[in-house]
Amino acid sequence: MAETTQDRRKERLDRGIKVRTDSVYAISHWQEMTYMLAPRLVFILGLLALPLILSFFPYWQRVISIVCIYALLAVGFDFLANHVGLVSLGGGFYVGVGAYMAALLNLKFGLPPVVTVPIATFAGGVFCTLLFLPCLPLRGVYFAIVSLMFPLLAGRVIEALDIFGGTDGLLGVESFGNPWVERYLLIGSVLVAVFVLRRLLIEDVGLVFRGVKDNDQAVKASAINITVYKALGVYFASTLGCLGGACLTHIYMWAGLSQFALDYSIIPIAATVVGGGGTLIGSVLGCLILVPISEMLRDFGTLRIAVYALILTAFIVYKSEGLMNYGARKYEQFERWVRI
Amino acid sequence: MFEARGLMVFYENMLALNNVSVACGADQIIGVFGANSAGKSTLMYTLSGIMLDIQKKEEMAGGERITMRGEIIYNGRDMMRLKPSERAKAGIVLCPERRRIFPESTVLENLMIGAYLADSRRTAQTLEYVFTIFAPLKRLSKRLGGFLSGGEQQMLAIGRALMAQPKQLLLDEPLLGLSPVVQYLLVKSIKEIRDQRNTAIIVSEQYARPVMPIIDYGYILENGASVVAGTNRELMDNPDVRSAYFGS
Repeated sequence: MAETTQDRRKERLDRGIKVRTDSVYAISHWQEMTYMLAPRLVFILGLLALPLILSFFPYWQRVISIVCIYALLAVGFDFLANHVGLVSLGGGFYVGVGAYMAALLNLKFGLPPVVTVPIATFAGGVFCTLLFLPCLPLRGVYFAIVSLMFPLLAGRVIEALDIFGGTDGLLGVESFGNPWVERYLLIGSVLVAVFVLRRLLIEDVGLVFRGVKDNDQAVKASAINITVYKALGVYFASTLGCLGGACLTHIYMWAGLSQFALDYSIIPIAATVVGGGGTLIGSVLGCLILVPISEMLRDFGTLRIAVYALILTAFIVYKSEGLMNYGARKYEQFERWVRI
Repeated sequence: MFEARGLMVFYENMLALNNVSVACGADQIIGVFGANSAGKSTLMYTLSGIMLDIQKKEEMAGGERITMRGEIIYNGRDMMRLKPSERAKAGIVLCPERRRIFPESTVLENLMIGAYLADSRRTAQTLEYVFTIFAPLKRLSKRLGGFLSGGEQQMLAIGRALMAQPKQLLLDEPLLGLSPVVQYLLVKSIKEIRDQRNTAIIVSEQYARPVMPIIDYGYILENGASVVAGTNRELMDNPDVRSAYFGS
Protein backbone atom coordinates (compact mmCIF):
# COMPACT_ATOMS: atom_id res chain seq x y z
CA MET A 1 0.00 0.00 0.00
CA ALA A 2 1.34 3.40 -0.94
CA GLU A 3 2.27 5.53 2.01
CA THR A 4 0.37 8.78 2.10
CA THR A 5 1.18 11.78 4.23
CA GLN A 6 -1.81 10.86 6.37
CA ASP A 7 -0.06 7.70 7.47
CA ARG A 8 2.90 9.57 8.84
CA ARG A 9 3.44 12.02 11.59
CA LYS A 10 6.45 13.97 12.72
CA GLU A 11 7.87 12.74 15.97
CA ARG A 12 9.90 14.87 18.34
CA LEU A 13 12.43 13.16 20.56
CA ASP A 14 15.16 14.30 22.93
CA ARG A 15 18.62 13.85 21.52
CA GLY A 16 20.60 11.02 23.08
CA ILE A 17 23.31 13.38 24.22
CA LYS A 18 20.72 15.59 25.95
CA VAL A 19 19.34 12.63 27.88
CA ARG A 20 22.82 11.52 28.90
CA THR A 21 23.77 15.06 29.86
CA ASP A 22 20.78 15.28 32.18
CA SER A 23 22.15 12.33 34.15
CA VAL A 24 25.45 11.56 35.84
CA TYR A 25 27.29 11.33 32.49
CA ALA A 26 27.36 15.10 32.46
CA ILE A 27 30.48 15.19 34.58
CA SER A 28 32.17 12.08 33.26
CA HIS A 29 32.67 12.57 29.57
CA TRP A 30 33.96 15.47 27.53
CA GLN A 31 31.20 15.18 24.93
CA GLU A 32 28.46 15.65 27.49
CA MET A 33 30.40 18.39 29.23
CA THR A 34 30.82 20.20 25.92
CA TYR A 35 27.16 19.75 25.07
CA MET A 36 26.18 21.28 28.40
CA LEU A 37 28.75 24.06 28.53
CA ALA A 38 28.92 25.13 24.87
CA PRO A 39 25.78 27.30 24.76
CA ARG A 40 26.63 28.93 28.09
CA LEU A 41 30.22 29.60 27.05
CA VAL A 42 29.15 31.02 23.68
CA PHE A 43 26.87 33.43 25.52
CA ILE A 44 29.38 34.43 28.21
CA LEU A 45 32.48 34.65 26.05
CA GLY A 46 30.58 36.23 23.19
CA LEU A 47 29.30 38.99 25.42
CA LEU A 48 32.74 39.50 26.99
CA ALA A 49 34.43 39.64 23.58
CA LEU A 50 32.03 42.15 22.01
CA PRO A 51 33.82 45.34 23.14
CA LEU A 52 37.17 43.89 22.00
CA ILE A 53 35.78 42.92 18.59
CA LEU A 54 34.33 46.39 18.19
CA SER A 55 37.44 48.19 19.51
CA PHE A 56 37.87 50.06 16.20
CA PHE A 57 34.31 51.34 16.33
CA PRO A 58 34.04 53.38 19.55
CA TYR A 59 30.51 54.41 18.66
CA TRP A 60 29.37 50.79 18.56
CA GLN A 61 31.18 50.06 21.82
CA ARG A 62 28.95 52.69 23.38
CA VAL A 63 25.95 51.01 21.75
CA ILE A 64 26.97 47.76 23.48
CA SER A 65 26.82 49.57 26.81
CA ILE A 66 23.34 50.82 25.99
CA VAL A 67 22.40 47.29 24.92
CA CYS A 68 23.50 46.08 28.35
CA ILE A 69 21.40 48.70 30.14
CA TYR A 70 18.35 47.58 28.17
CA ALA A 71 19.32 43.97 28.78
CA LEU A 72 19.30 44.54 32.55
CA LEU A 73 15.80 45.98 32.26
CA ALA A 74 14.69 43.18 29.96
CA VAL A 75 16.01 40.47 32.27
CA GLY A 76 14.15 42.15 35.13
CA PHE A 77 10.98 42.40 33.06
CA ASP A 78 11.19 38.79 31.89
CA PHE A 79 11.76 37.58 35.45
CA LEU A 80 8.88 39.62 36.82
CA ALA A 81 6.42 38.89 34.01
CA ASN A 82 7.11 35.24 33.28
CA HIS A 83 8.15 33.96 36.69
CA VAL A 84 6.34 36.17 39.23
CA GLY A 85 3.35 37.10 37.10
CA LEU A 86 3.63 40.88 37.36
CA VAL A 87 3.70 42.67 34.01
CA SER A 88 5.64 45.77 34.94
CA LEU A 89 5.89 48.79 32.65
CA GLY A 90 7.90 50.64 35.29
CA GLY A 91 11.26 50.24 33.53
CA GLY A 92 11.51 53.96 32.90
CA PHE A 93 10.93 54.64 36.58
CA TYR A 94 13.68 52.25 37.71
CA VAL A 95 16.19 53.85 35.34
CA GLY A 96 15.17 57.35 36.37
CA VAL A 97 15.45 56.58 40.09
CA GLY A 98 18.88 54.99 39.64
CA ALA A 99 20.06 57.84 37.45
CA TYR A 100 18.93 60.67 39.74
CA MET A 101 20.14 58.89 42.85
CA ALA A 102 23.62 58.34 41.44
CA ALA A 103 23.78 61.90 40.11
CA LEU A 104 22.68 63.44 43.43
CA LEU A 105 25.13 61.33 45.43
CA ASN A 106 27.90 62.38 43.09
CA LEU A 107 27.06 66.08 42.93
CA LYS A 108 25.90 66.80 46.51
CA PHE A 109 28.25 64.52 48.42
CA GLY A 110 31.10 64.26 45.93
CA LEU A 111 31.12 60.48 46.02
CA PRO A 112 32.96 58.71 43.18
CA PRO A 113 31.13 56.31 40.80
CA VAL A 114 32.56 53.30 42.60
CA VAL A 115 30.42 54.30 45.61
CA THR A 116 27.42 55.94 43.91
CA VAL A 117 26.63 53.03 41.58
CA PRO A 118 26.25 50.38 44.31
CA ILE A 119 24.31 52.74 46.60
CA ALA A 120 22.01 53.89 43.78
CA THR A 121 21.49 50.27 42.75
CA PHE A 122 20.47 48.84 46.10
CA ALA A 123 18.89 51.92 47.72
CA GLY A 124 17.11 52.64 44.44
CA GLY A 125 15.72 49.12 44.46
CA VAL A 126 14.42 49.60 47.99
CA PHE A 127 12.92 52.99 47.07
CA CYS A 128 11.14 51.59 44.00
CA THR A 129 9.86 48.58 45.92
CA LEU A 130 8.44 50.77 48.69
CA LEU A 131 6.60 52.92 46.15
CA PHE A 132 5.26 49.84 44.38
CA LEU A 133 4.11 48.19 47.64
CA PRO A 134 0.55 49.62 47.55
CA CYS A 135 0.09 48.32 43.98
CA LEU A 136 1.18 44.75 44.65
CA PRO A 137 -2.30 43.32 45.31
CA LEU A 138 -3.14 44.23 41.70
CA ARG A 139 -2.72 41.64 39.00
CA GLY A 140 -2.40 41.46 35.26
CA VAL A 141 -3.28 44.48 33.21
CA TYR A 142 -4.14 46.59 36.29
CA PHE A 143 -0.63 46.28 37.65
CA ALA A 144 0.72 47.11 34.19
CA ILE A 145 -1.33 50.32 34.05
CA VAL A 146 -0.31 51.46 37.52
CA SER A 147 3.36 50.66 36.92
CA LEU A 148 3.22 52.68 33.70
CA MET A 149 1.98 55.63 35.71
CA PHE A 150 5.19 55.83 37.80
CA PRO A 151 7.65 56.96 35.11
CA LEU A 152 5.10 59.42 33.71
CA LEU A 153 4.37 60.81 37.16
CA ALA A 154 8.00 61.10 38.27
CA GLY A 155 8.93 63.24 35.28
CA ARG A 156 5.98 65.59 35.82
CA VAL A 157 6.66 65.92 39.56
CA ILE A 158 10.28 66.91 38.98
CA GLU A 159 9.19 69.35 36.29
CA ALA A 160 6.41 70.91 38.35
CA LEU A 161 8.31 71.24 41.63
CA ASP A 162 11.48 72.27 39.81
CA ILE A 163 13.58 70.06 42.05
CA PHE A 164 16.76 68.18 41.03
CA GLY A 165 17.53 70.74 38.33
CA GLY A 166 14.00 70.71 36.92
CA THR A 167 13.80 70.40 33.16
CA ASP A 168 17.54 71.05 32.75
CA GLY A 169 18.47 67.98 34.75
CA LEU A 170 21.63 67.50 36.77
CA LEU A 171 24.75 68.42 34.83
CA GLY A 172 28.39 67.74 35.50
CA VAL A 173 28.20 64.23 36.87
CA GLU A 174 31.56 62.51 37.08
CA SER A 175 32.26 59.94 34.35
CA PHE A 176 33.63 56.46 34.86
CA GLY A 177 37.04 57.70 33.73
CA ASN A 178 38.19 54.60 31.94
CA PRO A 179 35.71 53.53 29.21
CA TRP A 180 36.68 49.88 29.71
CA VAL A 181 35.38 50.05 33.26
CA GLU A 182 32.02 51.24 31.95
CA ARG A 183 31.84 48.48 29.32
CA TYR A 184 32.84 45.58 31.50
CA LEU A 185 30.92 46.76 34.55
CA LEU A 186 27.74 46.57 32.49
CA ILE A 187 28.56 43.31 30.72
CA GLY A 188 29.56 41.72 34.02
CA SER A 189 26.31 42.94 35.62
CA VAL A 190 24.22 41.42 32.85
CA LEU A 191 25.98 38.07 33.19
CA VAL A 192 25.68 38.08 36.98
CA ALA A 193 22.01 39.10 36.80
CA VAL A 194 21.12 36.37 34.30
CA PHE A 195 22.91 33.56 36.06
CA VAL A 196 21.91 34.58 39.61
CA LEU A 197 18.25 34.83 38.60
CA ARG A 198 18.40 31.52 36.74
CA ARG A 199 19.85 29.91 39.83
CA LEU A 200 17.29 31.59 42.06
CA LEU A 201 14.46 30.18 39.97
CA ILE A 202 15.47 26.57 40.54
CA GLU A 203 15.78 27.12 44.29
CA ASP A 204 12.78 26.81 46.62
CA VAL A 205 12.10 30.53 46.43
CA GLY A 206 11.79 30.18 42.65
CA LEU A 207 9.11 27.55 43.15
CA VAL A 208 7.10 30.01 45.22
CA PHE A 209 7.57 32.70 42.57
CA ARG A 210 6.17 30.44 39.89
CA GLY A 211 3.36 29.42 42.23
CA VAL A 212 2.42 33.09 42.70
CA LYS A 213 2.26 33.41 38.94
CA ASP A 214 0.20 30.27 38.32
CA ASN A 215 -2.30 30.45 41.16
CA ASP A 216 -1.78 32.98 43.92
CA GLN A 217 -4.79 31.77 45.90
CA ALA A 218 -3.30 28.29 46.22
CA VAL A 219 -0.03 29.84 47.39
CA LYS A 220 -1.91 31.89 49.99
CA ALA A 221 -3.66 28.72 51.12
CA SER A 222 -0.21 27.23 51.76
CA ALA A 223 0.33 29.91 54.44
CA ILE A 224 2.76 31.91 52.30
CA ASN A 225 2.52 35.68 52.24
CA ILE A 226 2.45 36.42 48.54
CA THR A 227 2.96 40.17 49.00
CA VAL A 228 6.42 39.47 50.42
CA TYR A 229 7.33 37.43 47.38
CA LYS A 230 5.88 39.92 44.94
CA ALA A 231 7.83 42.68 46.70
CA LEU A 232 10.98 40.56 46.48
CA GLY A 233 10.38 40.09 42.75
CA VAL A 234 9.87 43.82 42.22
CA TYR A 235 13.02 44.46 44.27
CA PHE A 236 15.13 42.24 41.99
CA ALA A 237 13.71 43.81 38.84
CA SER A 238 13.98 47.40 40.08
CA THR A 239 17.52 46.83 41.37
CA LEU A 240 18.58 45.80 37.89
CA GLY A 241 16.84 48.85 36.42
CA CYS A 242 18.45 51.20 38.95
CA LEU A 243 21.87 49.72 38.19
CA GLY A 244 21.27 50.47 34.53
CA GLY A 245 20.14 54.01 35.37
CA ALA A 246 23.13 54.71 37.60
CA CYS A 247 25.52 53.58 34.88
CA LEU A 248 23.64 55.63 32.30
CA THR A 249 24.12 58.77 34.40
CA HIS A 250 27.85 58.25 34.68
CA ILE A 251 28.16 57.39 30.98
CA TYR A 252 26.40 60.56 29.81
CA MET A 253 27.60 62.61 32.83
CA TRP A 254 24.07 63.89 33.18
CA ALA A 255 20.75 62.96 34.75
CA GLY A 256 17.58 64.33 33.25
CA LEU A 257 13.90 63.85 32.59
CA SER A 258 14.55 61.76 29.49
CA GLN A 259 15.72 58.98 31.78
CA PHE A 260 12.10 58.46 32.76
CA ALA A 261 11.37 57.92 29.05
CA LEU A 262 8.95 55.20 28.06
CA ASP A 263 11.63 53.62 25.84
CA TYR A 264 12.96 52.01 28.99
CA SER A 265 9.55 50.52 29.68
CA ILE A 266 8.69 49.37 26.17
CA ILE A 267 11.90 48.14 24.51
CA PRO A 268 12.56 45.50 27.22
CA ILE A 269 9.11 44.04 26.49
CA ALA A 270 9.83 43.91 22.78
CA ALA A 271 13.20 42.29 23.50
CA THR A 272 11.59 39.68 25.72
CA VAL A 273 9.04 38.79 23.07
CA VAL A 274 11.70 38.50 20.38
CA GLY A 275 14.12 36.55 22.55
CA GLY A 276 11.61 34.23 24.13
CA GLY A 277 9.75 34.87 27.37
CA GLY A 278 10.82 33.02 30.47
CA THR A 279 14.34 32.21 29.34
CA LEU A 280 16.12 35.33 30.75
CA ILE A 281 18.99 34.80 28.29
CA GLY A 282 16.48 35.24 25.50
CA SER A 283 15.71 38.77 26.62
CA VAL A 284 19.42 39.66 26.50
CA LEU A 285 19.51 38.21 23.01
CA GLY A 286 16.46 40.30 22.09
CA CYS A 287 18.22 43.48 23.25
CA LEU A 288 21.33 42.55 21.25
CA ILE A 289 19.13 42.43 18.16
CA LEU A 290 16.67 45.28 18.75
CA VAL A 291 18.86 48.03 20.23
CA PRO A 292 21.43 48.04 17.38
CA ILE A 293 18.55 48.03 14.86
CA SER A 294 17.13 50.99 16.71
CA GLU A 295 20.52 52.77 16.49
CA MET A 296 20.73 52.10 12.75
CA LEU A 297 17.25 53.52 12.28
CA ARG A 298 18.09 56.67 14.21
CA ASP A 299 18.06 58.70 10.96
CA PHE A 300 14.40 57.90 10.45
CA GLY A 301 13.39 59.60 13.69
CA THR A 302 10.12 58.46 15.14
CA LEU A 303 9.63 56.00 12.28
CA ARG A 304 11.76 53.74 14.49
CA ILE A 305 8.68 52.99 16.50
CA ALA A 306 6.85 51.82 13.38
CA VAL A 307 9.68 49.43 12.54
CA TYR A 308 9.63 48.20 16.11
CA ALA A 309 5.92 47.60 15.93
CA LEU A 310 6.37 45.60 12.73
CA ILE A 311 9.11 43.41 14.21
CA LEU A 312 7.08 42.85 17.34
CA THR A 313 3.92 41.99 15.40
CA ALA A 314 5.79 39.59 13.14
CA PHE A 315 7.29 37.79 16.10
CA ILE A 316 4.03 37.57 18.00
CA VAL A 317 2.17 36.24 14.97
CA TYR A 318 4.76 33.90 13.47
CA LYS A 319 7.09 32.91 16.31
CA SER A 320 5.40 33.73 19.58
CA GLU A 321 7.68 31.33 21.45
CA GLY A 322 10.68 33.59 20.68
CA LEU A 323 14.18 32.84 19.44
CA MET A 324 15.56 31.27 22.58
CA ASN A 325 12.77 28.74 23.10
CA TYR A 326 12.94 27.80 19.43
CA GLY A 327 16.72 27.45 19.53
CA ALA A 328 16.66 25.40 22.72
CA ARG A 329 14.19 22.98 21.18
CA LYS A 330 16.32 22.52 18.08
CA TYR A 331 19.39 22.01 20.27
CA GLU A 332 17.78 19.48 22.57
CA GLN A 333 15.44 17.57 20.30
CA PHE A 334 15.33 16.11 16.84
CA GLU A 335 12.41 15.29 14.61
CA ARG A 336 11.69 12.42 12.29
CA TRP A 337 8.78 11.02 10.35
CA VAL A 338 7.23 7.87 11.73
CA ARG A 339 4.42 5.72 10.44
CA ILE A 340 1.31 5.79 12.53
CA MET B 1 -26.07 9.86 11.00
CA PHE B 2 -22.92 11.08 12.71
CA GLU B 3 -19.97 8.82 12.45
CA ALA B 4 -16.30 8.97 13.38
CA ARG B 5 -14.01 6.26 12.07
CA GLY B 6 -10.52 5.37 13.22
CA LEU B 7 -9.83 8.58 15.11
CA MET B 8 -6.23 8.90 16.25
CA VAL B 9 -4.96 11.92 18.15
CA PHE B 10 -1.38 12.40 19.26
CA TYR B 11 -0.29 14.99 21.80
CA GLU B 12 3.35 15.12 20.75
CA ASN B 13 4.38 11.46 21.16
CA MET B 14 1.53 10.51 23.48
CA LEU B 15 -1.34 8.65 21.91
CA ALA B 16 -4.50 10.23 23.33
CA LEU B 17 -7.01 8.52 21.07
CA ASN B 18 -6.19 5.17 19.54
CA ASN B 19 -8.32 4.12 16.62
CA VAL B 20 -11.63 5.14 18.19
CA SER B 21 -14.81 4.77 16.14
CA VAL B 22 -18.10 6.22 17.30
CA ALA B 23 -21.45 6.26 15.54
CA CYS B 24 -24.63 8.09 16.51
CA GLY B 25 -27.95 7.70 14.72
CA ALA B 26 -30.30 10.63 14.12
CA ASP B 27 -32.42 10.02 17.24
CA GLN B 28 -29.96 8.26 19.50
CA ILE B 29 -28.25 9.05 22.77
CA ILE B 30 -24.74 7.67 22.83
CA GLY B 31 -22.71 7.38 26.02
CA VAL B 32 -18.93 7.63 26.22
CA PHE B 33 -17.54 6.48 29.56
CA GLY B 34 -14.04 6.40 30.92
CA ALA B 35 -11.81 7.41 33.80
CA ASN B 36 -9.73 10.59 33.96
CA SER B 37 -7.32 10.84 31.02
CA ALA B 38 -9.13 8.06 29.16
CA GLY B 39 -9.62 10.45 26.22
CA LYS B 40 -13.24 11.55 26.67
CA SER B 41 -12.56 15.26 26.34
CA THR B 42 -10.06 14.70 23.54
CA LEU B 43 -12.78 12.79 21.69
CA MET B 44 -15.32 15.58 22.25
CA TYR B 45 -12.84 18.26 21.16
CA THR B 46 -11.97 16.26 18.05
CA LEU B 47 -15.62 15.67 17.14
CA SER B 48 -16.53 19.33 17.61
CA GLY B 49 -13.41 20.66 15.87
CA ILE B 50 -12.08 22.57 18.88
CA MET B 51 -9.01 20.35 18.57
CA LEU B 52 -8.08 22.14 15.32
CA ASP B 53 -8.10 25.37 17.30
CA ILE B 54 -5.97 23.91 20.11
CA GLN B 55 -3.62 22.46 17.51
CA LYS B 56 -3.11 25.86 15.91
CA LYS B 57 -2.54 27.62 19.21
CA GLU B 58 0.01 25.04 20.33
CA GLU B 59 1.77 25.28 17.01
CA MET B 60 2.06 29.06 17.23
CA ALA B 61 3.33 28.97 20.79
CA GLY B 62 5.82 26.24 19.91
CA GLY B 63 4.15 23.83 22.29
CA GLU B 64 2.98 20.28 21.77
CA ARG B 65 2.48 19.12 18.23
CA ILE B 66 -1.00 17.62 17.88
CA THR B 67 -1.54 15.13 15.08
CA MET B 68 -5.03 14.02 14.09
CA ARG B 69 -6.06 11.23 11.81
CA GLY B 70 -9.27 9.48 10.89
CA GLU B 71 -12.55 10.64 9.47
CA ILE B 72 -15.70 12.26 10.76
CA ILE B 73 -18.73 11.90 8.52
CA TYR B 74 -21.98 13.73 9.15
CA ASN B 75 -24.87 13.02 6.79
CA GLY B 76 -22.43 11.90 4.13
CA ARG B 77 -20.26 15.01 4.48
CA ASP B 78 -16.60 14.88 5.56
CA MET B 79 -16.14 17.07 8.65
CA MET B 80 -12.54 16.34 9.61
CA ARG B 81 -11.04 19.56 8.21
CA LEU B 82 -13.98 21.86 9.01
CA LYS B 83 -13.52 24.60 11.59
CA PRO B 84 -15.57 24.44 14.79
CA SER B 85 -17.78 27.30 13.59
CA GLU B 86 -18.51 25.50 10.32
CA ARG B 87 -19.34 22.31 12.19
CA ALA B 88 -21.70 24.27 14.43
CA LYS B 89 -23.39 25.63 11.30
CA ALA B 90 -23.80 22.04 10.11
CA GLY B 91 -25.52 21.27 13.41
CA ILE B 92 -22.74 19.75 15.54
CA VAL B 93 -22.69 21.76 18.77
CA LEU B 94 -20.45 21.14 21.77
CA CYS B 95 -21.45 21.91 25.35
CA PRO B 96 -17.95 21.99 26.83
CA GLU B 97 -16.62 20.42 29.98
CA ARG B 98 -16.80 22.57 33.12
CA ARG B 99 -19.54 24.58 31.44
CA ARG B 100 -17.54 27.60 30.26
CA ILE B 101 -20.46 29.98 30.59
CA PHE B 102 -19.82 33.72 30.31
CA PRO B 103 -19.67 34.73 33.99
CA GLU B 104 -20.07 38.47 33.43
CA SER B 105 -23.13 38.24 31.19
CA THR B 106 -26.65 37.63 32.42
CA VAL B 107 -28.42 34.34 31.88
CA LEU B 108 -30.46 35.81 29.04
CA GLU B 109 -27.36 37.27 27.39
CA ASN B 110 -25.59 33.92 27.69
CA LEU B 111 -28.47 32.25 25.90
CA MET B 112 -28.66 34.94 23.22
CA ILE B 113 -24.95 34.52 22.43
CA GLY B 114 -25.73 30.88 21.67
CA ALA B 115 -28.49 31.99 19.30
CA TYR B 116 -26.03 33.66 16.92
CA LEU B 117 -26.86 31.21 14.11
CA ALA B 118 -30.65 31.13 14.45
CA ASP B 119 -33.25 33.50 13.02
CA SER B 120 -35.45 35.49 15.40
CA ARG B 121 -38.50 33.24 15.15
CA ARG B 122 -36.54 30.11 16.01
CA THR B 123 -34.63 32.00 18.70
CA ALA B 124 -37.84 33.03 20.46
CA GLN B 125 -39.21 29.53 20.17
CA THR B 126 -36.01 27.88 21.45
CA LEU B 127 -35.72 30.38 24.28
CA GLU B 128 -39.18 29.46 25.42
CA TYR B 129 -38.30 25.80 25.18
CA VAL B 130 -35.11 26.27 27.27
CA PHE B 131 -37.13 28.11 29.93
CA THR B 132 -39.62 25.23 29.92
CA ILE B 133 -37.19 22.38 30.45
CA PHE B 134 -34.88 24.39 32.69
CA ALA B 135 -37.51 26.32 34.67
CA PRO B 136 -35.07 27.87 37.21
CA LEU B 137 -33.34 29.80 34.42
CA LYS B 138 -36.46 31.85 33.69
CA ARG B 139 -36.55 33.15 37.24
CA LEU B 140 -32.82 33.94 37.11
CA SER B 141 -32.72 35.41 33.62
CA LYS B 142 -31.41 38.81 34.80
CA ARG B 143 -28.71 37.36 37.03
CA LEU B 144 -25.04 37.24 36.03
CA GLY B 145 -23.87 33.79 34.93
CA GLY B 146 -21.05 33.75 37.47
CA PHE B 147 -23.51 34.00 40.37
CA LEU B 148 -25.42 30.83 39.47
CA SER B 149 -25.00 27.55 41.31
CA GLY B 150 -23.20 24.68 39.62
CA GLY B 151 -26.41 22.97 38.55
CA GLU B 152 -27.92 26.18 37.20
CA GLN B 153 -24.71 26.91 35.31
CA GLN B 154 -24.87 23.48 33.70
CA MET B 155 -28.49 24.09 32.70
CA LEU B 156 -27.39 27.39 31.23
CA ALA B 157 -24.56 25.73 29.30
CA ILE B 158 -26.89 23.12 27.81
CA GLY B 159 -29.46 25.82 27.12
CA ARG B 160 -26.86 27.93 25.33
CA ALA B 161 -25.91 24.92 23.19
CA LEU B 162 -29.59 24.36 22.36
CA MET B 163 -29.94 27.94 21.18
CA ALA B 164 -27.50 27.14 18.36
CA GLN B 165 -30.13 24.75 16.95
CA PRO B 166 -28.05 21.58 17.20
CA LYS B 167 -28.87 18.47 15.24
CA GLN B 168 -26.02 16.63 16.94
CA LEU B 169 -25.37 17.75 20.50
CA LEU B 170 -22.09 16.85 22.20
CA LEU B 171 -22.29 17.02 26.02
CA ASP B 172 -18.90 16.78 27.70
CA GLU B 173 -19.31 15.65 31.32
CA PRO B 174 -22.59 17.47 31.98
CA LEU B 175 -22.93 15.97 35.47
CA LEU B 176 -19.46 16.93 36.72
CA GLY B 177 -19.53 17.98 40.37
CA LEU B 178 -23.31 18.06 40.76
CA SER B 179 -25.47 16.58 43.49
CA PRO B 180 -27.39 13.34 42.75
CA VAL B 181 -30.72 15.19 42.70
CA VAL B 182 -29.52 17.70 40.10
CA GLN B 183 -27.86 14.89 38.16
CA TYR B 184 -31.19 13.06 38.01
CA LEU B 185 -33.02 16.17 36.79
CA LEU B 186 -30.42 16.89 34.13
CA VAL B 187 -30.44 13.33 32.83
CA LYS B 188 -34.22 13.56 32.54
CA SER B 189 -33.89 16.82 30.60
CA ILE B 190 -31.28 15.30 28.27
CA LYS B 191 -33.70 12.54 27.37
CA GLU B 192 -36.48 15.11 26.86
CA ILE B 193 -34.29 17.13 24.54
CA ARG B 194 -33.69 14.07 22.40
CA ASP B 195 -37.39 13.15 22.34
CA GLN B 196 -38.83 16.63 21.81
CA ARG B 197 -36.20 18.35 19.65
CA ASN B 198 -35.14 15.40 17.46
CA THR B 199 -31.56 16.00 18.50
CA ALA B 200 -28.99 13.24 18.51
CA ILE B 201 -26.80 13.41 21.59
CA ILE B 202 -23.38 12.10 22.52
CA VAL B 203 -22.75 12.41 26.24
CA SER B 204 -19.49 11.67 28.02
CA GLU B 205 -19.32 10.85 31.71
CA GLN B 206 -16.91 9.38 34.20
CA TYR B 207 -19.49 7.67 36.33
CA ALA B 208 -21.87 5.72 34.16
CA ARG B 209 -24.74 4.93 36.50
CA PRO B 210 -26.91 8.07 36.19
CA VAL B 211 -26.66 8.25 32.40
CA MET B 212 -26.84 4.53 31.61
CA PRO B 213 -30.66 4.18 31.62
CA ILE B 214 -31.18 6.75 28.86
CA ILE B 215 -28.48 5.76 26.40
CA ASP B 216 -29.08 3.63 23.32
CA TYR B 217 -25.50 2.60 22.86
CA GLY B 218 -22.34 3.15 24.87
CA TYR B 219 -18.58 3.07 24.49
CA ILE B 220 -16.04 2.52 27.25
CA LEU B 221 -12.73 4.28 26.73
CA GLU B 222 -9.54 3.19 28.43
CA ASN B 223 -6.18 4.81 27.76
CA GLY B 224 -7.53 6.34 24.59
CA ALA B 225 -8.91 3.14 23.13
CA SER B 226 -12.49 1.95 22.95
CA VAL B 227 -12.37 -1.34 24.87
CA VAL B 228 -16.04 -2.27 25.20
CA ALA B 229 -19.08 -1.13 23.28
CA GLY B 230 -22.69 -2.18 23.39
CA THR B 231 -26.26 -1.27 24.18
CA ASN B 232 -26.96 -0.23 27.77
CA ARG B 233 -28.24 -3.74 28.54
CA GLU B 234 -25.04 -5.31 27.21
CA LEU B 235 -22.85 -2.90 29.09
CA MET B 236 -24.69 -3.42 32.36
CA ASP B 237 -24.41 -7.19 32.00
CA ASN B 238 -20.67 -7.03 31.40
CA PRO B 239 -19.00 -7.89 34.74
CA ASP B 240 -15.86 -5.80 34.06
CA VAL B 241 -17.92 -2.76 33.21
CA ARG B 242 -20.14 -3.30 36.24
CA SER B 243 -17.26 -3.34 38.67
CA ALA B 244 -15.40 -0.42 37.07
CA TYR B 245 -18.23 1.99 36.26
CA PHE B 246 -21.11 1.09 38.55
CA GLY B 247 -19.21 0.53 41.76
CA SER B 248 -20.84 -2.79 42.49
